[in-house]
Amino acid sequence: MSARVVAVTGASGGVGRGIALACGAAGWHVWIAARRAAEGEAVARGVDAAGGAGRFVACDVADEVSVERAIAEVVARDGRLDAIAHNATSALSPKPTTLRDVSLADVRDHLAVSLRGAYWLARAAHPHLRTARGAYLLLTSEAGFEGKARLPIYAAAKAAQRGFARALAREWGADGIRVNCLAPLANSPAMERAFALDPAMQARVLGRNPLGALGDEIADVGAAARFLLSDDARYVTGHTLMADGGSCPVT
Amino acid sequence: MHESLLIACTRGPAASALASTLGAGLLALPDEVDALEAWREREAGGAKCARIAVGLMHGREISARALLGVDPASWLARAEDPIARWVFALGVAAARCWDDGAIVAVIDRPAPLDCAGFAPESAAADAACALVRSLARSEGARGVRVNAVVTSARLAPATPVAPAPPLASFPGRLEREVVGAVRMLLADDASGVTGQVIAADCGRTW
Repeated sequence: MSARVVAVTGASGGVGRGIALACGAAGWHVWIAARRAAEGEAVARGVDAAGGAGRFVACDVADEVSVERAIAEVVARDGRLDAIAHNATSALSPKPTTLRDVSLADVRDHLAVSLRGAYWLARAAHPHLRTARGAYLLLTSEAGFEGKARLPIYAAAKAAQRGFARALAREWGADGIRVNCLAPLANSPAMERAFALDPAMQARVLGRNPLGALGDEIADVGAAARFLLSDDARYVTGHTLMADGGSCPVT
Repeated sequence: MHESLLIACTRGPAASALASTLGAGLLALPDEVDALEAWREREAGGAKCARIAVGLMHGREISARALLGVDPASWLARAEDPIARWVFALGVAAARCWDDGAIVAVIDRPAPLDCAGFAPESAAADAACALVRSLARSEGARGVRVNAVVTSARLAPATPVAPAPPLASFPGRLEREVVGAVRMLLADDASGVTGQVIAADCGRTW
């Protein structure tokens, strides 16, 4: 049987990279669908080193044509597409704001990447996922459950993905396509910098975490994503899996 | 001057019915999303109220349509534009709510069992619920409570997925089941309740 073919958006770093490398370790063909070519190519080489086959494909998830071209390239090269992980998120995600002063442009930017990107990917990938009886995974966040006082638009965009996935799971079940969400809490260079700048944040984030540490983006979060993308999760759909060390009090 | 204020998307029948039943003044959002920033700038400084309901109701019943049949323009109109309206409506609500006041959002949300064909609406509704929870966090320091009532009254399919909802009154009516839950959350009896999303849908959502 040929190797599983998966595309991961926003995989040139952070959690997306962790998912890509975890899938590579299973011997999968992993497409790094991202805007940053140099970083994406480096992750693709990491997938090779992990035991899979990595390739970079340029993809701006907010752009319909870019998404269509990326999916077409994956299928043209590998002959199939078994699964997608939509991990890309707006560059504005960590930008503090409030509902009293956020700009419309910022709101639109958040939604264009997280939500409209999910819509473009669904449209472009559906025929291939149907053929493969595959899986569509969206990377959401604990913020989508519990809200965030200083990141309300990010939280809203992540919650919107959950509502989207819930409905799509019901629509695509008859096609044999599973649709799920994953809410990770992972270590990243950005998180390390934030902790260094604000020790109180570190205490706040880890203080409610029963496991007492941030997740490893490959071994903890990547492995959880790989499960949902794989046939091991063949009876799981419409679900949000929390891979957050038990941090989020809403399940 | 009204003690209560309803901030609504349009002055359509649903918003009018809600405002009338609540005895609230009505503040309409602009039709155009591009006008939301100017609207917030203008309205945020208006008279403050102790209790505010925000009801961005769909102006008409929405028909189920599989996502692959939703064209890009419809996607924006049904998913992203409503989220933008919620952002600005709740921003004005926060600005105009007295300390120790209460805000309740009334959100059209398809029940999970019945959400096939309503992916845009399901996305927008979950986003609105998260905005409510975020606002509960940011406004709680000054005693303001923020909660949501979700209703599937305009998003229920003609034939709901079995089993039937527990109450025969499903999907519920704005003027009765929904307004009752809004009153409950606005009242001082709910002084310890914030950041909650209550489904007033006759038992369809749990």
